[in-house]
Amino acid sequence: MTESAKKSILSDVTVRDAMRIQITALPADSSIIAGIRILIKYKINAFLVTNEYGEPLGVVSKTDIMGAYYAGLPSESPLSHIMVSPPLFCNPGDSLESALDTMRTQRVYRLYVLDEASQRVVGALAYPDIVGLLYGYCRSCDRSITNRRKASGESFEETRILVKEVMTSSVVWFYDSDSLIQIMEGLSEHRCGAVLIKNAQGTPISVVSKTDLILAYRRGTPPEVPASDILASSRVHSCEDSTFLEDAIRKMIVTDLQRLFVWSEAPENIVGVISLSDAARIRSGSCHACISSRIRVE
Amino acid sequence: MFRAKDVMKQNFRALTPHMTIAEAIRQFQRASEEEQRRLFGMIVKDDADRLVGMLSMYDILLLIRPKHTQVWGIMTDIEVSGVFEVIAERAKSVRVEDLMTPDVITIAPETHVMHILDIMIKKHIRRLPVVNDGVIEGMVYLSDLFYFLVERVSR
Repeated sequence: MTESAKKSILSDVTVRDAMRIQITALPADSSIIAGIRILIKYKINAFLVTNEYGEPLGVVSKTDIMGAYYAGLPSESPLSHIMVSPPLFCNPGDSLESALDTMRTQRVYRLYVLDEASQRVVGALAYPDIVGLLYGYCRSCDRSITNRRKASGESFEETRILVKEVMTSSVVWFYDSDSLIQIMEGLSEHRCGAVLIKNAQGTPISVVSKTDLILAYRRGTPPEVPASDILASSRVHSCEDSTFLEDAIRKMIVTDLQRLFVWSEAPENIVGVISLSDAARIRSGSCHACISSRIRVE
Repeated sequence: MFRAKDVMKQNFRALTPHMTIAEAIRQFQRASEEEQRRLFGMIVKDDADRLVGMLSMYDILLLIRPKHTQVWGIMTDIEVSGVFEVIAERAKSVRVEDLMTPDVITIAPETHVMHILDIMIKKHIRRLPVVNDGVIEGMVYLSDLFYFLVERVSR
């Protein structure tokens, strides 16, 4: 039996239910700068690249743009030079599980949804959106923390999944004196979206994400400068390792954070990281009642 | 006297490309107080008064809009504390040049008001910068154009 054939909370959900219908696309001759602008403006991680007839040609993600920055490509270069082609598609009527299987086997973070009759792209399916959908199910579930907290003193902790059970327990970090080039190499090597930044004393002081790097590229910052030149925030969004997964997911969804760093014993002691993509890839629900609905990644 | 220069406002606030969105928001608030009108957009100019773009209220609202809108649709009891702090932090890390529209339609001081009217209607634009040799001399607002024209119609 394949993973996707197992009974789970996702069994009856189709791609149509989970997809995002706003498609962000740019023509292939647009500049990388124009691409960065729409990534920031619409808070997305990737967009579709189209030909002169509006037909899909490829995809450009934050990772591809960071690669262009690293390679020293002028930011006026056309998107056709950096896009990944062709885009991967699924259909609106496909089961969400089969689409997730495709994402896992192809090692991609999103699929575009193609309407077969019209041959038009009608949506996009990405991990963070799936977490949003699942969170909706969790919220309406009788076992939800929120619903149980309202009920009278019933014990429920033992069924909950904690952040430490599903977090990535290696944290990629750099000193604020390390260069953007070193950070980009670290992000690329560990396939992560952000690194923790520490000061010379070893205290975590900030985060550098792919978004921060593409903004630096957009602004013409030389990649040789130290991280301290581009630090946008003076805080690290984090949660304790004993936090319920449901609470961590809610925090990320409500505040539009893509990840939380995880601390143990003291906030300075960062021991892991949990991202919305991880949450979607690891599990469908946020409690052991949903254990059968685990989404396999590897 | 039916030219852009006859209806344009010469005193208007402008943004600069390197300002953060947080500063731009303050400029929107101040300009609204000063000019006694709700501003839907502000022009962006460089140190030499050259027009480099336009930032609309909509651009800022896109930054505020939560990504996971379906969650806000089904949950009515979301605790919003912390939400605005994160947005405020983001507004400090993003600059005007990152969000502005660089391709702005402009008019010249001698552009006829009927031509301006046509551009505003066809392109759904509420404001047009008046540019002379690359330098901004004023702004024509849809509302000013409206009262300028209807005054003549109702005479």
